[in-house]
Amino acid sequence: MRTVRNLYVMVAVVTGIAAGSLFLAGFAAWWYRDIGAAWSLVLSVCCVVGAVGAIWLGRALLKLVKAIASIAGQPELTAKNTEEELKPVDIGGKKGLFDLLKMTAMEQVGEAIGNRLDGYHNYTSELEKQVKDLQVQVQLIQRQRRNAEAIIYSIRDAVIVIDEFDRLLMANEAAGRLFRFDFKSSQHKPIGELIDAGKNEFVDFLRQSRQSRVRATRREIVIADSGQRIADTPNVKERTFDCIVSCVYEGKEKVCGVVAVLHDVTREKEISRMKNDFVSHVSHELKTPLASITAYSEMLADGEANDEETRKEFYSVIQSQAERLNRLIEDILNISRIESGLIKIDKRPVSLTILIEEQLQMIKSAAKEKNIELIGQKPIVFDQVYVDKDMISQVIVNLLSNAVKYTRPGGSIKIETGVDEITKRARVSITDTGVGVPDDEIEHVFDKFYRVGANKSCAKGTGLGLNLVKQIVEKVHDGRVFVTSKVGIGSTFGFELPLAVGQPVKA
Amino acid sequence: MAGKKVLVVDDEVHIIHVVAIKLRNNGFEVISASDGGEAFELACSERPDIIVTDFQMPVMTGLELVKKLRQNEATRNTPVIMLTARGFAVEDKQREDLQISEFLSKPFSPKELLRSIEDILYQAAES
Repeated sequence: MRTVRNLYVMVAVVTGIAAGSLFLAGFAAWWYRDIGAAWSLVLSVCCVVGAVGAIWLGRALLKLVKAIASIAGQPELTAKNTEEELKPVDIGGKKGLFDLLKMTAMEQVGEAIGNRLDGYHNYTSELEKQVKDLQVQVQLIQRQRRNAEAIIYSIRDAVIVIDEFDRLLMANEAAGRLFRFDFKSSQHKPIGELIDAGKNEFVDFLRQSRQSRVRATRREIVIADSGQRIADTPNVKERTFDCIVSCVYEGKEKVCGVVAVLHDVTREKEISRMKNDFVSHVSHELKTPLASITAYSEMLADGEANDEETRKEFYSVIQSQAERLNRLIEDILNISRIESGLIKIDKRPVSLTILIEEQLQMIKSAAKEKNIELIGQKPIVFDQVYVDKDMISQVIVNLLSNAVKYTRPGGSIKIETGVDEITKRARVSITDTGVGVPDDEIEHVFDKFYRVGANKSCAKGTGLGLNLVKQIVEKVHDGRVFVTSKVGIGSTFGFELPLAVGQPVKA
Repeated sequence: MAGKKVLVVDDEVHIIHVVAIKLRNNGFEVISASDGGEAFELACSERPDIIVTDFQMPVMTGLELVKKLRQNEATRNTPVIMLTARGFAVEDKQREDLQISEFLSKPFSPKELLRSIEDILYQAAES
């Protein structure tokens, strides 16, 4: 600041001296106007013009100094700088005023530029730091985004996200599979184009939810099976989804998109339907023997049985129907017990031949009633199996009674037993000349509650007998069940059990 | 009611037996069938005065049997009593359309069945 002030003073003094001397010269010229009026006037005018010019030049110089000072901003001049700056004035005592001014101005400008450059340098390094920070943040966000995507992609439920214009923002693999589009390359395509017309219900639901702006809506949606068969429900042609659509808000009111999650509930539905069918079926099955018991008891009580023989017959019907009722309840309970692992298993070495013989005696009367020939087994040498006797008896009687039920009068049932010495397994097969099972249904005959559609009318059943056989043989005894069949010719049902060789013998 | 002919249809032989005894003891003539197909043939040839049929039967259900009976000139107006072990079974409208006189749910009382048969035949005779 001192330099600027010095310059001001210097310029003002020089300008003052120049203007003053010119005024004096002009005044002298006017005072000594004897030299000739004309000359005196000319001289006076010249002096006044010169003085005005000097003042004007001084002002211009002051302006220049001011401009230099403003370019320099707020130059913080150190003592050293001031000395250096003053030097040219001392040294350049002989130099002209212009040179002095020029040097000072240039130094000022240089200094100002230097300061500015320093400022810019600081600013640049600050920016570089900020850029690095931002890059780290971007990487972090990208990683978070990838994680979020990975989570959504890995969800088993189908997830679809659309924007406010019904264009796809994101979909996971399950959604792509369900609606048959490439979930990675379909971004920003209108959802209506991606999902075919057969599945319109879902697209409409998405739109309605977005328009309604309700936070979350839930609906059950049925979608035709996309061709792929799913292991747990192989027979289902269409699948049911529990669909939850949630709006994504921008601010408080505006909906900028919706997220749809489709959870497959086909299996649950199927189980629920099977349960309902089962309850309805079982109640019918339970009521049938109960109806006989009730009717015959009432007849006895009302004295409608006229003679002793009729009374005896009524008693025996009541007894047999009560037993039938009990068997049915036992079947249901046994399956339930085996499934829940609560059943008490009493395994001992048992002769398979004797077991079969016992059960054949039980089924004899039913076979005779239908005129069905029973062709018995040939005795096998070593037939000891390590089993729960009651359970395996149940297996044999279930297979035999099925054979009788589904074989027309006049047919035959053949029982075969054998031992595989290499695998150490005993094998029992029961072959009938019955109605048979269609090829596409044979894999389901051991399923719980499953009954062959075409054969339902042949005999009553709960669809539990064969399931019980499978559970007892495979789950309890580590054996294997098998079946082969031809419609109209007959079926072979059977099982294999490990021989009792090397098994611990209970006392 | 003596001499009136009743057709009893059920796939449970014990049920047919007990109903037959109850009705015969009360002066009815009883014929029986164990499935819908056989029942329809008997209904056409024997012309029973009333039919008692089970709801769920092999080959042809009780409902299918009644539909078939109603389409046939000879059996169009034969009264029908249906025995059923299922609660829901048939809607009222269908019941009216098929002119099913009465539903009895299993387990049923033979006494009650006899009373229903007599009532229905009495009403039929009146009209």
